[in-house]
Amino acid sequence: MAHPGAIRIVAPPAKGIAQLLWSDSPYNSGGELRKTLIFLGAMCVALAACTQTAETTTTAAGNGAVAPSGVLLADVQSRDSLNCGTRDALPGFAVLTEAGEHVGFDSDFCRVIAAAVLGDATKVNHVDLETADRFTALQSGQVDVLVRNTTWTATRDGSEGATFLQPTFYDGQGMMVASDSGFASVSDLDGVVVCVAKGTTSEGNAANEAARLGLSWEIRPYDDTDLIQEAFLQGACDGWTSDVSQLTGLRSAYPDGAEALTILPEVFSKEPLAPAVRDGDTGWAQAVNWAILATIQAEEYGITSGNVDDELGSTEDIGIKGFLGGEFEVEGAMTRVDPGIGLPVDFAYQVVKQVGNYGEIFERHLVPLGLSRGVNSLWTDGGLLYAPPYR
Amino acid sequence: MTTLADRSPLPTRSRPAAVIWVRRNLLRTKLDVFLTVAFGAVGLLVLFHIFRFVFITARWEIVRVNLKLLLVGRWPVEHLGRIALVMITLGWWGGTIGGLIRAGQLRRGTADFDLRGWAKATDLGRRFGLLTATCLLILALSTTSGPWLLAAGTLTAALIGRWGGSKIRSMPLAPALFRLGGVVLLATPFILFLYLVSAVAFARWEGFLFNLTAAAAGIILCFPLGVLLALGRRSTLPLLRSLSIGYIEFVRGSPLYVLLLLANVSLEFFVPSALAPSKPVRAVITFTLFTAAYLAEIVRGGLQSVPRGQEEAAKALGLSPYRQMTRIVLPQALRNVIPAQIGQFISLFKDTTLAGLALGTFDLLSGGQAITQQDSFRGQGLIVESLVFVGFLFWVGSFTMSRESQRLERKLGVGTR
Amino acid sequence: MTIGATATRIPIWRNVRVIAWAFQLVVFSIVAIIVYWLVGNYRVNTASSGIPTNFDFLDNPARFSIPGSPFDGNQAVRAAFGVGILNTLRISVVGIVMATVIGILVGIGRLSTNWVVNKLSVVYVEVVRNLPLLVILVFVFLGVVLQALPRIENAWRPLGLVVVSNRGIGVPWYQSGSGSLLVLIGMMGIGGWWVLARWRRSVSERTGELARSGPIGSAFFLLAIVLGWFLLGLQVSLPRVDGRTIAGGIRVDPSYFAVLIALVIYTASHIAEIVRGSIQAVSRGQGEAAKALALSPFQRMWNVILPQAMRVAIPPLGNQYLNLIKNSSLGAGFAYFELTNVAQITVGNGSPAVPAFTLALLFYVVISLVTSAVVNLANRRFALVER
Repeated sequence: MAHPGAIRIVAPPAKGIAQLLWSDSPYNSGGELRKTLIFLGAMCVALAACTQTAETTTTAAGNGAVAPSGVLLADVQSRDSLNCGTRDALPGFAVLTEAGEHVGFDSDFCRVIAAAVLGDATKVNHVDLETADRFTALQSGQVDVLVRNTTWTATRDGSEGATFLQPTFYDGQGMMVASDSGFASVSDLDGVVVCVAKGTTSEGNAANEAARLGLSWEIRPYDDTDLIQEAFLQGACDGWTSDVSQLTGLRSAYPDGAEALTILPEVFSKEPLAPAVRDGDTGWAQAVNWAILATIQAEEYGITSGNVDDELGSTEDIGIKGFLGGEFEVEGAMTRVDPGIGLPVDFAYQVVKQVGNYGEIFERHLVPLGLSRGVNSLWTDGGLLYAPPYR
Repeated sequence: MTTLADRSPLPTRSRPAAVIWVRRNLLRTKLDVFLTVAFGAVGLLVLFHIFRFVFITARWEIVRVNLKLLLVGRWPVEHLGRIALVMITLGWWGGTIGGLIRAGQLRRGTADFDLRGWAKATDLGRRFGLLTATCLLILALSTTSGPWLLAAGTLTAALIGRWGGSKIRSMPLAPALFRLGGVVLLATPFILFLYLVSAVAFARWEGFLFNLTAAAAGIILCFPLGVLLALGRRSTLPLLRSLSIGYIEFVRGSPLYVLLLLANVSLEFFVPSALAPSKPVRAVITFTLFTAAYLAEIVRGGLQSVPRGQEEAAKALGLSPYRQMTRIVLPQALRNVIPAQIGQFISLFKDTTLAGLALGTFDLLSGGQAITQQDSFRGQGLIVESLVFVGFLFWVGSFTMSRESQRLERKLGVGTR
Repeated sequence: MTIGATATRIPIWRNVRVIAWAFQLVVFSIVAIIVYWLVGNYRVNTASSGIPTNFDFLDNPARFSIPGSPFDGNQAVRAAFGVGILNTLRISVVGIVMATVIGILVGIGRLSTNWVVNKLSVVYVEVVRNLPLLVILVFVFLGVVLQALPRIENAWRPLGLVVVSNRGIGVPWYQSGSGSLLVLIGMMGIGGWWVLARWRRSVSERTGELARSGPIGSAFFLLAIVLGWFLLGLQVSLPRVDGRTIAGGIRVDPSYFAVLIALVIYTASHIAEIVRGSIQAVSRGQGEAAKALALSPFQRMWNVILPQAMRVAIPPLGNQYLNLIKNSSLGAGFAYFELTNVAQITVGNGSPAVPAFTLALLFYVVISLVTSAVVNLANRRFALVER
């Protein structure tokens, strides 16, 4: 309860200030200030109104918007072309060649999905995306699937509206330094400048790692890898941190030669690189998932693009025959395995025949960079790749 | 005894004009001497380094090899002929408009006969000399003879158009044909645009071509919205007024870069996914909405410059408000602010480079940065050469346009009386 | 003959007031329908992907750090936005001051009788004014800062006081004491300057001697700072190269440096044109009368011409200041952590894009409106009061 005496003291100055701000006194320049205040007030009201009602989903005016569950598979099949979000300049994963073709590990997995869904690995429309755009392109429907060495994290599952599928590459984050800098391990890096790409998990992980090891790093985020490379060449960065697979690819294309850079042995943070589809469409997600898993299962069965025809023709193994969509006899009747995912019965055959199994894809693109299978081997070899049974 | 008459005046020492000039312009006071020496040294050093860079140490190979990439991006080679045809047609079009303007001036008696013969030639040289030199430079950098033929063709077409345009009024043709000709002339840029787009979608227009067309599209498309906003701002109806003011103040207070970023991530959410626009289209939409607000302010200034008597006279003649505005007030208003509109176009032309940074479109500047990453040019510090070329192209366009605009301003007598 | 017949009623479709309101209603409905369609599309498109469209993301932890400030990854996104706004204001204020000083100097130089100074100013203004700002930025960042400045191992050490390298510029700064108290003393020094200036002006009016309030006032200010320095026991810390970084002193971020230089170069050329135009707008008689009164060139410019010129120049100058503030957003592409960059990074880390960028946009609009209101205030205050 305000003391009346206090009100008597406060009121006149308050009135004066209000008059000053509101009326046409020369000090508020003929009403400019008042107009500004009204405008700001209107904007605040509008903003509040927008956010108050923003949480409710409406069904109004949804003409032609994003398709509800299960329809994207039919859409892609009727369109007869797959929009695959990728990039154009990461050696080993996705490079746009002079001839206009996308070549790389991720590009091949785009082809895998096309081969599975459409029966033809060439029916892919590779959409080059910048790091900043990749999720909005997926959210808005510009691309059907994102195969762009993207890390699967909880936040991306949740707030980015993405659903991640079988990881194609289990990676980790590493640090790359100049070979002549004398750094032999991450703990040597104290009081250095570390450069990272903007909008990637590498930023936050680098900060966490520095805090964990008690080092002081100045982490500078740049828009794209060209700028980081330039800064690195000029000595403005001591360390370049990103996924080890990405660092390997970038190192191979370094102007001063790959020997000028060293990737330090420590790996901090888990970076499972997985394709992603939009939330809310389980049919599509499952179809894409099984396309990827088919490559792993094929390698487990020992089926390659070279011997897939023989296997289909002459194998006695019902498992392999069913996997490839061949007919086999069960209790006197010829039958095929159709799990009802929505893919054609012979999708695995098309995948292996036109693109290859996981091992072939890996060898084609990543082994030349110098990456070894490591944890990306089959579970039978002690790695992490384990496909659920196809039955 | 020597008288006053006997004393002959001391002969004045005649100094050569150069010495007089130096003393007056460089050595007037002690401070002047210091400034001359200091800044002169700095200026000479800079000039020396520039000449050494441009003519001796720079490796212009990167520009020479990538000339096509910088100018038109990855335009399919089989469709380059279309660009050539479009350029020649545009040359003819520009010439015809110039000829028509000249014929109109002659008819109205406002033609400029001050400059004749040699004076006119030097005036033309001063006006277009820089542009010509730049074109010659680009031609010199090109490796084939095609561009030379194209330049010659465009120049011929322009001259023919100029001659035709100035003569056409005197031809005994039906008025309907004149009107048809006028419509054809107005529609030519759009027809040419459609001709190019039918070969290569606008989403694939890259390089300097993108900068030019994005700026042109922005300024042309923003006119309806800009004029409407200006009229709305002046209106006495409170709702219209507040909507217009709200839009104008909001857009003018926002940086174009942030608007482009917003358009990049959000434009596809505001339309059904089938209509999701490509990056260049998003850029053009943003430029249009942005320039409309600035144009609204310019047009508002123009509307204020038209004397009230014009409106009142129109009203007295019984013209409807619509006719008043479109037949009487707006033409005068827009004519009065032509220099400001040209200034806004120049500003938009320079701002098209932001699309490369914000949306990742392949325009002249981002192309110039990208070519330094090509396999044969990587890591050699060639960014300076590339940037100098890119900056030079922008500078020539901007400088020529602003000089022409100043000349037009002087001719129109804007600001005087 | 009765006069008193009722006036004919205007039919409703020709009643101007009705038409006006009907027209407004139509316009409003059109705008409302368009907005409704757009917003509806947006809601449906984002709802099915589960992307939130509110401002809750402001409370999430940021998970990135901002070099040069105590902000770390565990603080909320709203704190990151705060740091971004501070950085924008930092570069804007410094940029405006530097650009104004350089712009005025170049503008005056453009009118100089010294041929060298004149031509250099003309070349500078005409070249820079017609270049896109982004070209200048890329050139300064990639060409100058990264290439021309040396690596940290070979850093330049002019006068032993400053360290220059391509990962930062070290400048001497105070240490081990209270900086804010020094600022307080600085403000008291400015107050003293003002008092002294008033006193000197009154003396000058009474006796006719030169006021010299500038030199006397600034001498007092410097004295106050130096005294305060020693009384508070502050020390200078000099920068030095420590391994791969610069220790001691204060470190100027290379991105900040590059963006600031580019912004200043660009805006100064525009300001120079404005200043030149406004000086030429002052009638020649003023300069000639000042010359007749035997004022020195500096006194002519400072006391007679510039004050009148600034009156004309304030609106376009205000416009250029607004442009500088808005152009600072380009620092986002060059690793300077101003508002736009912070918004981009939080979006990359999972914040919803439209609310984040809209928030950044709103801040710019607010900053712009406030700045233009201040400029209008100044304009009104200094405008010529005519009969």
